[in-house]
Amino acid sequence: MRLTLALALCAAPAFADTREAVEEVILPGYARFTAAADALAEAAAQSCEAEALRPAFHEALDAWLGVSFLHFGPAEDKGRALAIWFWPDPKGLGAKAQRALLTGDPARLEPEDFRDQSVAARGLSGLERLLWPQDLPADPCPLIRATAADLARLAQEIEAGWQGDAGFAATLLTAGEAGNTRYLSPAEARQAVFTQMMAGLEFIADQRLGRPLGDEKPRPERAEAKASARSQRNVAVNLQGLRRLAAALLPEAEATLAAFDRAIAHGGKLKDPVFAGVADPAKHAEIALLRQYVKAIRAAAMAEMAPALGVGIGFNAQDGD
Amino acid sequence: MATRRGFLAGLASLSLPGIGWADVGSPAWLTAGRAGEDYVLHGLGPAGESLFAIPLPARGHAAAAHPSRAEAVAFARRPGTFALVIDCFTGALRHRLTPPGGRQFNGHGAFSADGALLMTSEVVAEGSQGRIGLWETEGYTRIGEWGSGGIGPHDMKRLADGRLVVANGGIETDPADRSKLNIDRMRPNLALLSPGGEVLEIAELEPALHQNSIRHLALVGGGVGFAMQWEGDPAEPVPLLGLWTPGGAPILCPPAPEDAFTMQGYAGSIAASGGRVAISSPRGGAVMVFSDQGAPLATLRRADICGLAPLGTDFAASDGGGGLWRIAGDELIPLRHAPVAWDNHMVPVG
Repeated sequence: MRLTLALALCAAPAFADTREAVEEVILPGYARFTAAADALAEAAAQSCEAEALRPAFHEALDAWLGVSFLHFGPAEDKGRALAIWFWPDPKGLGAKAQRALLTGDPARLEPEDFRDQSVAARGLSGLERLLWPQDLPADPCPLIRATAADLARLAQEIEAGWQGDAGFAATLLTAGEAGNTRYLSPAEARQAVFTQMMAGLEFIADQRLGRPLGDEKPRPERAEAKASARSQRNVAVNLQGLRRLAAALLPEAEATLAAFDRAIAHGGKLKDPVFAGVADPAKHAEIALLRQYVKAIRAAAMAEMAPALGVGIGFNAQDGD
Repeated sequence: MATRRGFLAGLASLSLPGIGWADVGSPAWLTAGRAGEDYVLHGLGPAGESLFAIPLPARGHAAAAHPSRAEAVAFARRPGTFALVIDCFTGALRHRLTPPGGRQFNGHGAFSADGALLMTSEVVAEGSQGRIGLWETEGYTRIGEWGSGGIGPHDMKRLADGRLVVANGGIETDPADRSKLNIDRMRPNLALLSPGGEVLEIAELEPALHQNSIRHLALVGGGVGFAMQWEGDPAEPVPLLGLWTPGGAPILCPPAPEDAFTMQGYAGSIAASGGRVAISSPRGGAVMVFSDQGAPLATLRRADICGLAPLGTDFAASDGGGGLWRIAGDELIPLRHAPVAWDNHMVPVG
């Protein structure tokens, strides 16, 4: 069967763009995340000391943000992406559920039980609260270990879900073939990948930047990953991942890639790890400009990449009625 | 104007009396769509085959099927200034309905059981106060209107006993550009109207959910299932399906926790079939199936999926990529693929 699949892939130069996205960006991205999550779980098994685990946490979150915008396939199944990084969480669902785990029956931390605990309590967002703790009601060590082990499992399941004949890579790359009911043509698969990129950019603009920038007044307390001081880094790493995806889909997308570079360069100049500057009018304008630049990437991709790839935004998805 | 009126009258006189849905192939559903640059209304058979296709002058939203005559009313997207009464046998435009001054159609309509009365969801353009427009169906003249019991009515469903449930979405829109004017203070509701148009009962959501616009309805048991669109913070997980039996309080049906954000706060269509209720989200690219008691059963993925209707004891679904599907259990089974971007709704005929 593997041979059949390989032949099918070779015979399909018409959708090399999807294949490049899968083989050069998506699969290596998930592999990097699995390795980082494994390393974090191993480090946690060795030591529960927050200080010692932070580098592995940063590496794992960097790796996740390289692929976090992929909301299709194994990452969306069973709520895995939510369980890995649950943000934004305006009602504090994660902290609440996590407190219950810290003070509750230790049996719930056993792997078979822990995997069924709230998606808001687990994953890297859960670990961030434990590694940069604020008055924890109990020793966090067992929960740190359980969370890190569960994260490694999630990473492995996602990576495994992309592999093999029934894996999601094959689903994307056999688009239009008999038996593939998810994607009825190569254009649909291309459209799906493109849609992930566009939604990822929208999430940066509206959530990662939009929440602290605020609608009527600045909301610095809403910045992402404040505890680990990564708000700006998350945007930067996420944009790099999205740029890799764009370049794989359409290497000649010059205007789009230039728009990425402008946003990434401007973000790098902010030197404002938690976007505290939103409370200062001059700095607010600089962060708002970054949001404009991210929106400009979407506009460039819509104008340049969508026609070249023969895709658009959904007929109903954009409508609303 | 005289010429135009003469033209319409001519078309009307050409239509044949006594033509029923069986004469046009017994379509299971009506659904609007876009083919290339053209907008069309299709009658679809239960295998997804097109039985007829009638050009529309602009993008459609929903339609209403006359209970016996092969006659459809196609509504423009809200806020709309026209609805078209179409002869599905000849494809001819029989009547063009225009709301009275200062009123706008709001996307949906329903016939009385005997087909003698057409009810249309409308708003007073300034302020979006809801009205149900009343039209007799011999010549489609306006014969009156009722209050809808709220602001921004959208879908409506007739219960078996003739009472009418209206989804008042609660959103006041700018008459010119659809922009939303009252998101911070909106209060959607479900209104139960007597067959004579008297408001019998109003059901509202708990205050924390006042930004959950109630928009689409399906008959479930002796009441309705209602599908909502969340206008609040997208980071808040909220239920998008509810069940309401008049006389009781609405029951909210949250998704499984891992699917809290799958629908992206937006349910575009709803249907009930075989003891289950399904809602769709073109934004999330997903359909969620619940039991008719509100327990989540399955989530199915397909980009831009929106139209939903009963198909036997299963569901049919349509998407903006041209796909028509049967939903059986937790599987999407392709029925047919057409070069038509299917619009929001599949409207059952008969």
